[in-house]
Amino acid sequence: MRRRLLCSFADRELWGDLERMIELTDVSVVYPNGVQALSDVSLRVARGEFVFVVGPSGSGKSTLLRLVYREFLPTRGRVIVGGQDVTTLPQNGIPYLRRRLGVVFQDFKLLPQKTVWENLAFVLRVTSVPRREIRRRISEALDLVGIMHRCDSFPAELSGGEQQRASIARAIVNNPPILVADEPTGNLDPDTSWGITQLLARINARGTTVLVATHDNQIVDRLIRRVVALDVGRIVRDQDKGLYHHEPEQERVYESELAES
Amino acid sequence: MAVASLSTVALSLAVLGGFLLLMLGSHGFVERQLARFEIAVYMPDGATQQDAERVREAILRLPLTEKAELQSRELEWQKLKRSLSTRIPEGVIGNPLPYTIFVRARDARQTESLAGQIRRIPRVESADAARESFGHVKALADLVKLIGIVASVGLCLTTIFIISNAIRLTLFARRHEIRIMQLVGATNWFIRVPLVIEGLLLGTAGAALAVGLIATGGQYMVALVQRGLPVLRDLSSGVAPGQLLVALIGGGAIIGALGSLVSIRRFLKA
Repeated sequence: MRRRLLCSFADRELWGDLERMIELTDVSVVYPNGVQALSDVSLRVARGEFVFVVGPSGSGKSTLLRLVYREFLPTRGRVIVGGQDVTTLPQNGIPYLRRRLGVVFQDFKLLPQKTVWENLAFVLRVTSVPRREIRRRISEALDLVGIMHRCDSFPAELSGGEQQRASIARAIVNNPPILVADEPTGNLDPDTSWGITQLLARINARGTTVLVATHDNQIVDRLIRRVVALDVGRIVRDQDKGLYHHEPEQERVYESELAES
Repeated sequence: MAVASLSTVALSLAVLGGFLLLMLGSHGFVERQLARFEIAVYMPDGATQQDAERVREAILRLPLTEKAELQSRELEWQKLKRSLSTRIPEGVIGNPLPYTIFVRARDARQTESLAGQIRRIPRVESADAARESFGHVKALADLVKLIGIVASVGLCLTTIFIISNAIRLTLFARRHEIRIMQLVGATNWFIRVPLVIEGLLLGTAGAALAVGLIATGGQYMVALVQRGLPVLRDLSSGVAPGQLLVALIGGGAIIGALGSLVSIRRFLKA
């Protein structure tokens, strides 16, 4: 009974009706060494939104994202992902939560002994997807990110941008309703960073809710989406269409350009 | 990394297996020396062969007796005459030797008890169990057994520790891979099972190599020891090679699998 409940939590159809995909309520995180990473953070992310979580190093961006995929529990408060309170999720339910989240890391975290194809296939084998379906989904994902021609390469044989694209392909191969990216352009040059950002925007356009933690102001200012700014563990700004730094003049210019178009 | 782990397992088990063989061989050797002790049962002067036969039958009825042989007086007298370097003293007429029955106990450690029971049989003059010599050999046998047990247990534990460490290092080297598997939604059992199987195969392969090492190197070592100490010519363990093969391989497989199962736990925190 418990396993059926946990597996149904992994079912995308169950999530499809939910408006609030991610909800943090009065969340605080204090690390064992006493550092307060987040303080009384409340945040709601609706289905289909694209949200940048910005702030300087140490502001709590990564901590916030790690709460979403249940790497650890908050010291206080509640975290709801896809309608499920993940703070009360049992240990053996965590894998099922993560199967419905796509997570992209700054250091890519690809399995080094497996090719790009095998990295994606591993994720699908974990969820017992049939072999024929594995082939179709991997091909779709690699086409979307644009590295089908590198599917037989090992991670060490890829450039930084290609590795990140492979990592994104792995994150979306299971069609997750939510994609979480922690500094996805942190190790990349500006042009490649923009390419990755555009890819994330395309994924968002297909209906996936995207949450990106970044301190890359260029991609934030070029894409112009909802910006949640953190400083010393607190939300200091939550703006529907914002820039990395709060610049009312610039934002007014953008809004008027948007209205004209 | 795999080669390093495999060689660690193989060498550890080879040392353990070789040591166990040596201990079993030593124990078997000493026990066989102990089993050679016999009780010499002497009939009184004037006893007839029928008297000796009746006593022999009484001895055979004792539960501790394995065998009892009545020595031919004539044969023993001829042997003694041949072995005496001087002439037979004057005044010795005929065969002065008494009827003697040589008795062996089922359990060599019960020799003295059996001698005590034989002494109570009517018409028995004396029963000599070579008490002092037997006691020394028995004490040596007990000491070898005790040392063997203690050292074997200690070496077993050390081997388990070494092999577990080798497995732990292998898992540590793959900790990033394990973490990635967790992050993409693999359950703990999905991660654990292949690693436990890998540990089992590592233990089995290592044990097989160890058996090969013992088989080739062991014979050379035994020949070397026996050349130095001819008295240890009969240093067979009494354990058939096949039994040791099965025990080592089984032990290696179990240690490998259990070592993986225990070591993986610390890497499986979500």
